[in-house]
Amino acid sequence: MSQALVSLTIDGVEVTVPVGTKIVDAAKQAGIEIPVFCYHPKLESVGMCRQCLVEIGRPKIDRSTRKIVRDKNGDPVIEFGPKLETSCTTPVGEGWVVLVNSERAIEGRRQVIELILTSHPLDCPICDKGGECPLQNMTMAHGPGKSRFLYEDKMHLAKHVPLGDLIFLDRERCIQCARCIRFQTEIVDDPVIAFSERGRKLEIVTLSEPGFASYFSGNTTDICPVGALTTADFRFGARPWELNATASICPHCAVGCNTMLNTRREARSQGRVVIKRVMPRQNEAVNEIWLCDKGRFAHHFASSEERLARPVIKLKRRGRLTATTWENAVKFVVEGLQAAHGAVLGIAGGRASNEDLYALHRLMDGLGGRAVLHDQMAGGEFVQQAGVGPGTNLADLGSGDCILVVASDLHEEAPIWWLRVKQAAERGAKLIVANARPTRLDAHATHILRYDYGVAAHMILGMLHEINHQKELDQYASAETKKVAKVVSKANNVVVFYGSEGLDYAASHDLAQNCATLLAASGHVGRANNGLVAVWTHSNTQGAWDMGVHPEPGGLAAALKGQKAAYVVAADPAGDEPLLTSLLEQVDFLIVQGLFLTETALAADVVLPAQSFVERDGTYTNGMRRVQRFFPAIAPNEGMRADWEILSAVAAAMGIDSARPSAAAVMQDIAAKNRDYSEVNYPALSRNASQWPHVGGKDIYFGGTAHPNHQGLGVQLTPRVERQKDISFDWAAPRKIAHKPRYLMVPITKLYDRGTTVVQSQVLGPRLEILRLYVNPEDAERLGMIDEGEVEVQWDGRKQRLRSVIDEHVPSGAVLVPRSLGVPLATAVDVKIRPIAL
Amino acid sequence: MLADKHKSEIKAILKKYPAKEKRSAVMPLLFLAQREYGHITPAALVEVAELLELDPTEVGSLIGFYTLLHDEAAGKYRIQICTDLPCALRGAEELAKRLCANLGIRLGGTMTNGLITVEEVMCLAGCDKAPTLQVQDADGIHYHENQTLGSAMELIAELMEKGSDG
Ligand code: SF4
Ligand code: SF4
Ligand code: FES
Ligand code: FES
Repeated sequence: MSQALVSLTIDGVEVTVPVGTKIVDAAKQAGIEIPVFCYHPKLESVGMCRQCLVEIGRPKIDRSTRKIVRDKNGDPVIEFGPKLETSCTTPVGEGWVVLVNSERAIEGRRQVIELILTSHPLDCPICDKGGECPLQNMTMAHGPGKSRFLYEDKMHLAKHVPLGDLIFLDRERCIQCARCIRFQTEIVDDPVIAFSERGRKLEIVTLSEPGFASYFSGNTTDICPVGALTTADFRFGARPWELNATASICPHCAVGCNTMLNTRREARSQGRVVIKRVMPRQNEAVNEIWLCDKGRFAHHFASSEERLARPVIKLKRRGRLTATTWENAVKFVVEGLQAAHGAVLGIAGGRASNEDLYALHRLMDGLGGRAVLHDQMAGGEFVQQAGVGPGTNLADLGSGDCILVVASDLHEEAPIWWLRVKQAAERGAKLIVANARPTRLDAHATHILRYDYGVAAHMILGMLHEINHQKELDQYASAETKKVAKVVSKANNVVVFYGSEGLDYAASHDLAQNCATLLAASGHVGRANNGLVAVWTHSNTQGAWDMGVHPEPGGLAAALKGQKAAYVVAADPAGDEPLLTSLLEQVDFLIVQGLFLTETALAADVVLPAQSFVERDGTYTNGMRRVQRFFPAIAPNEGMRADWEILSAVAAAMGIDSARPSAAAVMQDIAAKNRDYSEVNYPALSRNASQWPHVGGKDIYFGGTAHPNHQGLGVQLTPRVERQKDISFDWAAPRKIAHKPRYLMVPITKLYDRGTTVVQSQVLGPRLEILRLYVNPEDAERLGMIDEGEVEVQWDGRKQRLRSVIDEHVPSGAVLVPRSLGVPLATAVDVKIRPIAL
Repeated sequence: MLADKHKSEIKAILKKYPAKEKRSAVMPLLFLAQREYGHITPAALVEVAELLELDPTEVGSLIGFYTLLHDEAAGKYRIQICTDLPCALRGAEELAKRLCANLGIRLGGTMTNGLITVEEVMCLAGCDKAPTLQVQDADGIHYHENQTLGSAMELIAELMEKGSDG
């Protein structure tokens, strides 16, 4: 689409930009920096701080002829107004002459700083922002040396106001730019902070319960142009200039946000190098310049004291674990695997990197066994075929496009996708949200579809019917599916996010297949901004599928049948499902590789300490099939090895393969073997492109403290339909639901669960979910339950007592229980519920 | 609960605004709450927020912004004396000081009978008849111009009589 352009000169530089561009952005693009405080390229302009004042000259227009007046050389006569103007609110005009660094403009901005400083404490030496503070820098660059205002008139305000559990406010430092408030309102639609009072008394307040508890709160500390907002994690933790920065990828969900790990070696950590904070790293196609609070604040697990540090072996079953050398351990592993004669099963978790998964697959293959993924969501092969094409960026979706989110609560499962989908809807994209219960995304949906738990795939078939008119699909169609199917088929671009809420392996398989078929039938596959995205529960689940490691349709219990040895990597099946413990104990030889002494590790014959993602390099493939690289930020304890390294050493010792020297080398093997990854290699993953808005330059005031991306944007894989024109898609008839269970207990995902990686956060503690059973009011009445009462839930011969909460959002006939909080439930089950009398 | 006591009034207020723009009813509802309780109590704030599907913080922000909305209890009558420049030039500061001394309270304070609070405010747009004060009570706002200590004391006496009757 061609856009009308406007040309003007800014400080003598000729600039041509699209109509509507603000002067401040036009200048930035031309490399001329205009100081700003309240303006932020991701937010609407408000013109509140006046820091961006410039002189603007406009061509003089003859009022009678409405023509531009020209001088004797034929050049337009330029007229400057009497006042300075805010460049952040003024869109460019043809032929304008803007002066940023004229004497008058500089003086104007100097006075604004003087005014801002009338009540600023200038306590930079004890301020967390000192060293990366726009106000500090600007005062140095543009501020007056002396103030004409009275020192005694400075306001003295509270300096340690907790706005919530994670963010602290220093009222004296706030310069009232409202970036934080506007972020919460415009970008994340969670207006839990706001201004109160006026003038010099203006202050940020929250009156919400429980305060500033937005999932995105940490971002406000990045864009706050002063040290008024600090995080519970980093405040008074270190000075910015002491920190090293290492590029990484958030390991917590399938979005794969790009991060920067800020580390330092410090006495208070016994001279170790530790992570001081996690910062966003710009990747406009993935996380822009944002992170959710889980990604920012759940990093402490990596430096936990409880990490395994040496290999341990158990000589006799149920004997004691004894520490040993790596040499011995590998020998022991080799013997154990040999004794199994091919009856071996590899079990991996979706947190393992591509290199680890490939190495596990290779080893199992060489032994005549196989590797499976410990997960219950299916459909990875459909994402390989019909995933979103290279160049996909949710920011490009808007009017004329459509996004369908089915069986997922994006706000809890993949917060940054939630945010970006919401913004696409605000730009005019049609948003269809289909789930058995209301979720936070509903507020932004143009169409909401409800279905009973379990029949998500059926509903997609109803939509497909409207497109292919197959008779067999009649039964699934309804007025609603008809309506939304029209929206899908008319849209220019369609992205479908599917999750697995309430669905088991088979049901999520059907859902993925039918979504892919719908996309293909409506012509929305094989190009950028179209295709299928899986909302996986882990950061590299898609990578696992790509490496040939998928869940066993019948579950791990089935896969373990007849196995003599099992090799578990980055997973804790026994912790997740106690019933698996005895099955794992029944194999003759159990090897567990991981960070912690998990339930599974306790049952093992050998436990091998693995390096965490902060100590090594590797790659993850996110839900949009973007392969991204993370780098070692911290030197590992010498007793720990990278997962791929251990697996490769074992494979070498068993004569299966030669040992690989580096993760990069493993990636070369992957590229050689896997057509989808043929273009992927470490240098390619490290390639950059210039991104807008520019962040992280010396004009830190512009974008905030998000880091620029010098370490690579990753590579988005090409879906197979784009390459193989012969791929065809067919729908799957979903299994009939035999009966409507009395009560279906459905595990739902909450962002702050109590999984190992979250529970160790030093600051998220008060925000963690509490285990409760959510019940619909009518069901509660029928059952004779009270709010906050106790109930006993029975299923599969198991019993558990739970606190119950009555919640009108729960569909009738279902009860919801958040995952990873103590109820080992992989997928929805029939339950019996009995209230416990007090 | 406001919703129980003023059901029909709330309904009437909400009816004035399109259902999608419910939030526009925030000011009249806050006035209603203030009339009922003398100030906007934390519970009333939350109730208004719920009625309009706003976040309590958004509602609280408005109360902070508008000087005629109060989140703290005070007397039944709020005597608001303008001390901005024109009124100050005509002795408003002195008036406020002496009035408070007469009543035995500090500026911003409330008499023990709970009827009278004296506050200082910005320009009331009655500069031509300075010093100006206004009385804010449940019925609204009443102007009193060209004030002297005597006239202000008389006014207060009247208010105290009125206030103790009902
Ligand atoms: S806290 Fe920071 S971002 Fe928020 S208004 Fe104050 S200076 Fe601006
Ligand atoms: S959205 Fe997901 S990947 Fe991004 S920071 Fe949050 S948990 Fe990490
Ligand atoms: S007024 Fe332009 S940056 Fe604040
Ligand atoms: S200055 Fe008092 S009314 Fe204007």
